[in-house]
Amino acid sequence: MSATTLERVRRALAGLEFEELAARDGMPTLGLAPEDVHAAMERLAHAGRFSTCILVTAVDHLPDEPRFEVVWQLLSVAENDRVRVKCRLPGDEPRVASVSDLWPGARFSERECWDMFGIRFDGLADHRRLLMPEEYGHHPLRKDFPHQGIDPGRLYREWDRARRAQQGFPAQHPDELQPQR
Amino acid sequence: MGTLNPVEETGQSGFFATRADFLVNWGRKNSLWPMPLGLSCCGIELMAMIGPKFDLARFGAEAARFTPRQCDLLIVAGTLTWKMAQACRQIYDQMPDPKWVIAMGVCSSSGGMYDSYAVCQGVDSILPVDVYVPGCPPRPDAVIDAILKLQKKIARESPTGRLAGTGEAIVDEGTGVLHMPPNRAVERSTLDLHPHDPRARRAARESK
Ligand code: SF4
Repeated sequence: MSATTLERVRRALAGLEFEELAARDGMPTLGLAPEDVHAAMERLAHAGRFSTCILVTAVDHLPDEPRFEVVWQLLSVAENDRVRVKCRLPGDEPRVASVSDLWPGARFSERECWDMFGIRFDGLADHRRLLMPEEYGHHPLRKDFPHQGIDPGRLYREWDRARRAQQGFPAQHPDELQPQR
Repeated sequence: MGTLNPVEETGQSGFFATRADFLVNWGRKNSLWPMPLGLSCCGIELMAMIGPKFDLARFGAEAARFTPRQCDLLIVAGTLTWKMAQACRQIYDQMPDPKWVIAMGVCSSSGGMYDSYAVCQGVDSILPVDVYVPGCPPRPDAVIDAILKLQKKIARESPTGRLAGTGEAIVDEGTGVLHMPPNRAVERSTLDLHPHDPRARRAARESK
């Protein structure tokens, strides 16, 4: 099955630069340059008959450069096979083309990827965070983010202070109180 | 409270105040209306507790209401994330006085195993908690035990003293651990850290 998948992919991508990567699980895997991503994805969606984008995620290879690796997995319902596409991005201001115009369901994955890794998707209409609060300011799945967080209660504290001021309570807690334990 | 002191010792007014306290406390403690704040897995155990098998109605606390304005017992059952913390505090603020809080499970007592950026390390950093229930999740019996302990605690309160302004002040705050790094008490070895964590890299640099 894998060989025919690869043939189909090669035919669909004829004329484009791409790399065939080895994958431990045997899934056909392609490496693309960031500027080719959208053109290649468009061909995979139409000529390659990959009708579903299952996931968009990223890997952070921190000490290495290029630092981020975005991973897409595509499923062809008609042919019952999958392909994995990878693309390396630089560490500062990583950005790549959005595929949400080809597969609208990718919007959520791309928003999550922005939230957790700070990767921008050009062409994504709604670039809000998915899980963390909008004013959070960090991207927690990056390797240089400490797992206990950077001042995790900050947003709650700001909200609490505003609430107290609004309701006319003294703003004693939490900054002014001494910790009791 | 609750016992009758001889009239000669306390005088007429003291005698009356004690009786009123006892009566009010008796009413309060035997008809707690819980606000079930089921945030994750502990919420399932909370449902089992209110259901027929464990039957919280035996202790008068089965009338769970899903609006805080009708409740006087907040049961925080589950992992409180920072995003949820605002809603939790708002629910607490909307409950009419007098109100009590049970932190059910290690997650809401101390953050539990979620030593992470997203989880509030114990509801007691944003609310005053009366009874903590350990366990992951605690069995319904353990939570029922917590409710019995809370009933004993309520029986010691002095509502008339509160009315007259002589009772203990109503504490409306958590313990103020908000601004401390989570689990500060646990000494961390840099070996526990991910090799790319800045603290691990700093330690490696310093040890060279
Ligand atoms: S204490 Fe355990 S069972 Fe309860 S919410 Fe936390 S993880 Fe779930």
